[in-house]
Amino acid sequence: MPAHDVLIIGAGLAGQRAALAAADAGASVAIISKVHPVRSHSVAAAGGINAALNPEDTWESHAFDTVKGSDYLGDQDAIEIMCREAPEEILWLEHAGVTFHRSPTGHLGTRAFGGASQARTYYVADITGQAILHVLYEQLMKHHERVDRYEEWFTTTLLQDDAGNCVGCVARDIRTGALEVFDAKSTILASGGAGQAFKPTTNALICTGDGIAQAYRIGAPLMDMEMIQYHPTTLAENGFLITEGARGEGAHLYNALGERFMEKYAPNKLELASRDVVSRAEQTEINEGRGFPDGTIALDITRVPRKRTLEALREIVNIGKDFAGVDITREPIHIKPGMHYIMGGVKTDFDGQTPIPGLYAAGEVACVSVHGGNRLGANSLLDTLIFGRRSGAHAAERARGVAMPKSASSVLSDAQAGIDAILNRPTGGRRVSEIKNELGETMNRYVAVYRDAEGLATAREIVQRLKQEAPNAAIDDKGSVFNQDVLAAIELGYMLDCAEAIVMGAQERRESRGAQFRTDFPERNDEDWLHHITVSLNGDGPELGTAPVTITKWQPQARTY
Amino acid sequence: MAEYTLKLRRYDPQSGEAPYYEEYRVDLEPHRSVLEAILQIKAEQDGSVGIRCSCRAAICGSCGVRINGKPGLACHTHLDHAAKTGVNADGTTILVEPMGNMPVIKDLIVDMDAVHWKKIQRVTPWLINKEPVPEREYLVPHENMVDVTQTMACIQCGACVSDCLAMEVDPLFVGPAASAKAYRFVGDPRDAQQYERLKDLAEDQHGIYDCTHCFMCIDACPKGVAPMSQIMRLRRISGNDHHIVDRNNGERHERTITGLIRDYGLLHEAEMLPRSYGGYSWFAKFHPAAGAELLDSLPVIARALMRRKVTPGKVIFGHRIPKPDLKAVQAIYDKVESKDRRYELNLYISGYEDDEGDAAPAETVPAAVGANGDGMPSAPGPNPHQPTSASESESA
Amino acid sequence: MKVAYWPGCVSRGFTPELHGSMAAVAPLLDLELVELDRACCTGAGVIAEHSQELADTLNARTFALAQQVEGAALMMNICSTCQGAQSECQERLDANTEYREHVNGTLAAEGLSYEKGLTNKNLLWLLVEEIGLENLKKKVKRPLTNLKVGPFYGCYIVRPTDRLGIDDERPRDHYLHWVIEALGGTVIDYAGVHKCCGFPIITMNKQNSLKQAGMHLADAQDAEADCLVVPCPLCHLNLDMQQPLAKKAVGRDDLSMPVLHLPQLLGLALGLEPNQLGMSKHVVKPTSVIDWSSAVVGAPTPA
Repeated sequence: MPAHDVLIIGAGLAGQRAALAAADAGASVAIISKVHPVRSHSVAAAGGINAALNPEDTWESHAFDTVKGSDYLGDQDAIEIMCREAPEEILWLEHAGVTFHRSPTGHLGTRAFGGASQARTYYVADITGQAILHVLYEQLMKHHERVDRYEEWFTTTLLQDDAGNCVGCVARDIRTGALEVFDAKSTILASGGAGQAFKPTTNALICTGDGIAQAYRIGAPLMDMEMIQYHPTTLAENGFLITEGARGEGAHLYNALGERFMEKYAPNKLELASRDVVSRAEQTEINEGRGFPDGTIALDITRVPRKRTLEALREIVNIGKDFAGVDITREPIHIKPGMHYIMGGVKTDFDGQTPIPGLYAAGEVACVSVHGGNRLGANSLLDTLIFGRRSGAHAAERARGVAMPKSASSVLSDAQAGIDAILNRPTGGRRVSEIKNELGETMNRYVAVYRDAEGLATAREIVQRLKQEAPNAAIDDKGSVFNQDVLAAIELGYMLDCAEAIVMGAQERRESRGAQFRTDFPERNDEDWLHHITVSLNGDGPELGTAPVTITKWQPQARTY
Repeated sequence: MAEYTLKLRRYDPQSGEAPYYEEYRVDLEPHRSVLEAILQIKAEQDGSVGIRCSCRAAICGSCGVRINGKPGLACHTHLDHAAKTGVNADGTTILVEPMGNMPVIKDLIVDMDAVHWKKIQRVTPWLINKEPVPEREYLVPHENMVDVTQTMACIQCGACVSDCLAMEVDPLFVGPAASAKAYRFVGDPRDAQQYERLKDLAEDQHGIYDCTHCFMCIDACPKGVAPMSQIMRLRRISGNDHHIVDRNNGERHERTITGLIRDYGLLHEAEMLPRSYGGYSWFAKFHPAAGAELLDSLPVIARALMRRKVTPGKVIFGHRIPKPDLKAVQAIYDKVESKDRRYELNLYISGYEDDEGDAAPAETVPAAVGANGDGMPSAPGPNPHQPTSASESESA
Repeated sequence: MKVAYWPGCVSRGFTPELHGSMAAVAPLLDLELVELDRACCTGAGVIAEHSQELADTLNARTFALAQQVEGAALMMNICSTCQGAQSECQERLDANTEYREHVNGTLAAEGLSYEKGLTNKNLLWLLVEEIGLENLKKKVKRPLTNLKVGPFYGCYIVRPTDRLGIDDERPRDHYLHWVIEALGGTVIDYAGVHKCCGFPIITMNKQNSLKQAGMHLADAQDAEADCLVVPCPLCHLNLDMQQPLAKKAVGRDDLSMPVLHLPQLLGLALGLEPNQLGMSKHVVKPTSVIDWSSAVVGAPTPA
């Protein structure tokens, strides 16, 4: 039975970084991932990673941009830490081998990105996430004696002892179906976001909110769940992401009348205003009839020199060609806002600790909060690495003073019983995929760029009905080798828990801030709403709460771009 | 919407039965992907169909499969295109099978650890830092990082490994994915062991000189990594820059062909064998390795002579192009081979000019060494070799 | 049709029957072959392995010479490897003016210059795209009825698909199938149709090379092909000349698979006799083919 000082669930950027940091600190480390680590959704992050590395830049400037970008909901102490530690992290990555783009002098080079007062985004073509993720995995392969990898293992439950400490998890070896208890002194959740609760979404099929729901179920509070980022440039049909890097390179947005409408909404930053501002601008144009017939806006990358596009935006050249039949170097591509990221998540401090002793969280699964109401592009990669590293180091340190827990073997039989219950469900109910589709369409309809009380109430009802239906959804595959069916049924439960918390948060926040725009409460209201909204599970059901926003240097002001 | 029949290869390891094919009907728009069709089958008809998938956008590398016998990503292959090259006459049936060269776990899921990842791990796939590690970033020429981005773009999908023909007859061949990964480090100026990496892979009998030069991996790769081209680059750097002579006669073979064409203008087949084994000289045929090989091939040579495929004259003297032309060819050799640095055009980086002629002359730069107009310093460190993509042009 | 004809090295070296049968067949196809006897070897992909610029320059010289042939419709080769090696060089030369000008700078010493956009087709492509299958069918005097032919394309003419212009409009990786059918033969499909004969590694890993050749020969034989047809003399060497050793490498003593050059197959169908096509020079006697053509069908239809 595996027993480690630090157990990490999820092997994206945050998870892998945490593993390396914990191993560096001398801890015994295990990392579990339901897919091979290089398949984690971090791989799809395209544009870049922010840091005030340039001598002419300051971390304060980066921090202010982030605070403003968050619409003043971000916790400024955490933001300060992230921005201050960013330059060192970039250099650590470069030394580990990340193939960052260079300026003509051979130094690390930057590109412009949304919401930034100066160019501070470091990148690798438009595959930055992939480049960093693969280099981290190279390091894990190098340190294979220090970090035990459990690749293609699915976590089903987090374990708690009688005192309420998190003491590890139960996970299923996907290849064989065997369940195993993972004892651990500290557990770090790094399992990413919950995009699959929306349809369409830029997120991968694996982004089903596993960690958020697992933490929630053992009593950890979720925070800012209503803050869902709609990315301005996604392909209409399938939700695929067209990186912000395109706009960073100089691409423009046009409506069907050929107008560069961002001049109206953000006269200074134009296409590089923060994402919520751009998404709302686009949605307004579309809603008011100035979009194209398929409900889209045009993104014109043709003005970027072709050679530069091929060098720095190769991936979207491919996406345009393969998924939209468009050569982006010659014609505009049609896009619209699409669900992309969840700013909310499991509440943590700036060392990744949740209120549950022994349970940490880092990356998109967590809410520190550094992104507040809206995340700046290229800050998520930074978030995962800074807080992944800090969680790993802190968890390793904590492990020194804690005895190795030993869970009872009954937890295994309980978990097996849960699986068997799913396998033995009678047929006749709705299929898992049907319920998932209805959930996704509902969320994308009522909990998107523009929301109101009526729509949210409808969404709430539907989610609750789906929560009733889900436990009866029968599956086809009864086998134990690579049974993806049973995993889908479990993931559906996770998505529904996340969806419920998201809708509740959106209903509760009767103001517009960051990514949340209520047409019935269109103004930002600092007096009544400058605080985080939390959702926790107590014995009876979900319960709302609040948490203060930490303000250090920057008092809230009006937010214009 | 159009109707397609997907013929999937099923295998249930717990059943004790052999693999079998099962057909499913789907109704989807023609531009949708094969993956979407399979996901629809899983969702609506048969949830037990096993396929790895995640991002749906050709970036995670999970969904490598063989479609109509060709390797690729399921999410990246459109239904209408797949049906056209499909298995029945009316263009509606699409055959989907698991990738090759790797053991099958279930249905379309293969054991990549057993083959793909094992070979990746064999090439020491992490940066071995050049000392001293600078306080800030290493200074690296822009074009080096652009060059290495081509191999960094590999998403480890396994499509190249799936259909590698050399691996089919020699499972120990290091393979295209691992070779591309090796180039990612050999081409990175921050790596301290360029020579050691090359020596290791060149001298390994199943290393870079085991590739059968069939282009399968270039065609299979969804990301333009062109693994075979990376293998050739590794050979170039190994043979030309480091003069590493491998056990497979690969470097000697290269020198032989190149030398024969310089001396004859045409391939002198009879000399190809002895000189590949014994080194580039007329006396190579007396070298023990060459001699042994010649003896071994005597039956083949004898038969060729008996059938009058070749005359003894041809065998001994070969055939040449006319003298003035041979001189012209040799002049070309002299001019090109005398340069310090190789001029290599990598179309992945420089792109293709189109008919509208949009490559403005100002964007291209002279190929000569050090002729960068932007005052960029050469890379630090004793290693003289840099990948010389002709597009040293910066647009940064 | 007049073509600038690059015969390659091997057709004039170890596979003279290829050169001879092409010469015999050309007039029957209304092809006037102007041989590029001043041109040098394409490098077979190996010079490019050593130095891209050298390979590109040598081939640019060949292209320039072809472009000098008055009234030639295009350049033609009879070897998959030549096609692939030349296409690789041409791709680079055509893609970048600055590079092409640099290469032309080297050719200037001989007064030669390559102009972008040369059409270079293997005989196989020319048959389908220039002559046309319908015309070809009309010229058939001795339909290859009941002859079961396994096509073997050769790697260099089928990959990479985009470089070789293979797409939905021009499914060049099916042309050999079509030609066999147009000549009246029966196509035998087997696993090795588009695979590698192993020639590139015959001196580097002889076992692997022979195993590949043996595998494909065996698969074709098991699929009951009477013979293979190849558009590449290097493939022919590994499949025919090396067949005795290839048999051993795959443990198949029963292997006896005649391998024909494409012009030889054409020649038989167009009415020529086997001894006009040099088939006696093959290591593996094409007895199944010769006996069939002289015994079963008899003399060709008079012109």
